[in-house]
Amino acid sequence: MILAIETSCDDTCAAVVTRDGEIRSNVISSQGVHDRYGGVVPEIASRHHLELVEAVVEDALQQAGTTLPQVDAVAVTQGPGLVGALLVGVATGKALAAAHGLPLIPVDHLHGHVAASFLRPDPIEPPFLILIASGGHTLLAHVKDHGASWGSEGSIEVLGSTRDDAAGEAFDKGARLLGLGYPGGPALSKLAEEGDAEAFAFPVAAQVPGLDFSFSGLKTALLYKTQELGEEETTRRRADLAASYQRAIVETLARRVERARRQTGIERLALGGGVAANGPLRERMRALAPDLHVPPRELCTDNAAMIASAARYLEPLPFPQYLGLDAFATGERGI
Amino acid sequence: MRDDPGVKILAFDTATPATSVALAPGDGRMLTRRHDPAQGERPGHQALLLTYAVELLDEAGLSFKDLDRLAVGVGPGTFTGLRIGVATARALAQAHALDLVGISTLHALAAAHALTAATRDAADAHAAPRDEAAAPAAATILPVIDARRGEAFAAAWDAAGVTDPAATPLLAPAALTPDALVAAVQELPSAPVGIGDGALRFREQLELAGVLVPAGDSPSHQVDAAAHCRLAGAARPHARDEVLPAYLRLPDAELALRRRAAGIHRS
Ligand SMILES: [Zn+2]
Repeated sequence: MILAIETSCDDTCAAVVTRDGEIRSNVISSQGVHDRYGGVVPEIASRHHLELVEAVVEDALQQAGTTLPQVDAVAVTQGPGLVGALLVGVATGKALAAAHGLPLIPVDHLHGHVAASFLRPDPIEPPFLILIASGGHTLLAHVKDHGASWGSEGSIEVLGSTRDDAAGEAFDKGARLLGLGYPGGPALSKLAEEGDAEAFAFPVAAQVPGLDFSFSGLKTALLYKTQELGEEETTRRRADLAASYQRAIVETLARRVERARRQTGIERLALGGGVAANGPLRERMRALAPDLHVPPRELCTDNAAMIASAARYLEPLPFPQYLGLDAFATGERGI
Repeated sequence: MRDDPGVKILAFDTATPATSVALAPGDGRMLTRRHDPAQGERPGHQALLLTYAVELLDEAGLSFKDLDRLAVGVGPGTFTGLRIGVATARALAQAHALDLVGISTLHALAAAHALTAATRDAADAHAAPRDEAAAPAAATILPVIDARRGEAFAAAWDAAGVTDPAATPLLAPAALTPDALVAAVQELPSAPVGIGDGALRFREQLELAGVLVPAGDSPSHQVDAAAHCRLAGAARPHARDEVLPAYLRLPDAELALRRRAAGIHRS
């Protein structure tokens, strides 16, 4: 069994997962304190992680019916993410492991999002394509095996990533332009249900070559449209604007996935990241790939079970090799 | 504040750029490791804290489970450094259900100074002349930590009672501008001795206010976890989830939000 800790953004998470990918516990404490600042504040996220992590770990062990000395290894997200937030998890993970002389497994957060698909009861085996879309990242990758090495020769080959905003950010920024507050992504999707997605034609980032994503043009287009319509008309047609904007985000993602499937010849597709919960996105992707693999929602958003899952395929660092381990803010992949 | 024989305490402090670790293995010895980053070098907290702790335990032939108690400096100091120290301490304590004591880094500075002064005064009775770098004895101790942004974290204790972990400060720990610090010094019962990296940073203002600041190479300016070890030996342990950094400052985003709110109310 592996105990994993994840603190890369604003969710404090711990989980216990068996060697063969069965989730024994998956505890997520969402801080829910950042909305009033209009975004995640790293210093505040870090303070909350420190207050919460001990109880979250305790819960994860208890729910799994195990104790720290009984686990085989401790895994922890090393990066990328908010460095101040990550280091609370890294310091905690190192100390818990060192206290019992356990091995430590540092995990790449994005390898974690991929490895969410390897968990029971419904794992998917490589090779497959994966679209990971959340408030923090948007990337399309070819998963060749379970490992964590990145690149065309490695286990995970990134085919495309966002040039500017992440998909989840695009949702939130659109929501703000429509006066839906922060984080407005879910509110925008809710409002879109009542709107006409064909009402406005927003760009679907065709100006970006290859398989990369861009959402800044779309955001600007929405801004201009609201200015053109004026305050009153924008309010009146808010649902149509939301539906059309959402459709443009979904189309942007879908066209890249379509192209990637043609280029690689890989047909199987998995989703990951918080945006995977979006209904129209799932529908659109399912139309592309009928056997679309989407893990349960709690495994798509940031969680520690996915970190434990990834750790199963990595070489553990034996005690005391990891005592000096540090967190890293950005990956060498720059995503 | 004595080295209680038999009680095994591991203590560390990462509130300042230094990484200081001390182990009282319960046989009257005090084992220590420290790292002070050179000019421009990053603090070694994450890289060195656990490494030093394990080295000291190895040296004493102990492991984490043999410890009776852990003590951690809770600042004030750099937020990142504090979180590495407190997260490490809480996780180690959690892993073996160890007693945990949070020690004010300012209090530890003051207590360490009082102890060295006492030791030196005893030695002085036999041998003169005085070491030039030695800190002068004073009735009031003013530990000051550089808080960046032109401010200082400071507190003050009566030298007589400072080695009691429950001692009440004459000036409660606070983040102060140099002007506010000088004003606070004027309120103290006697001219204090100022120690810590903040006392060196604000030496000019403090000396003008009558504070005695020892030479820059005096050990009184360095946070030393041996003091945490000694204070913790006589302290009552805290509930683990109560041991948190003494930030003494709100996050910038919160300050900005409050300023905006105040501005809206005024207009
Ligand atoms: Zn994520």
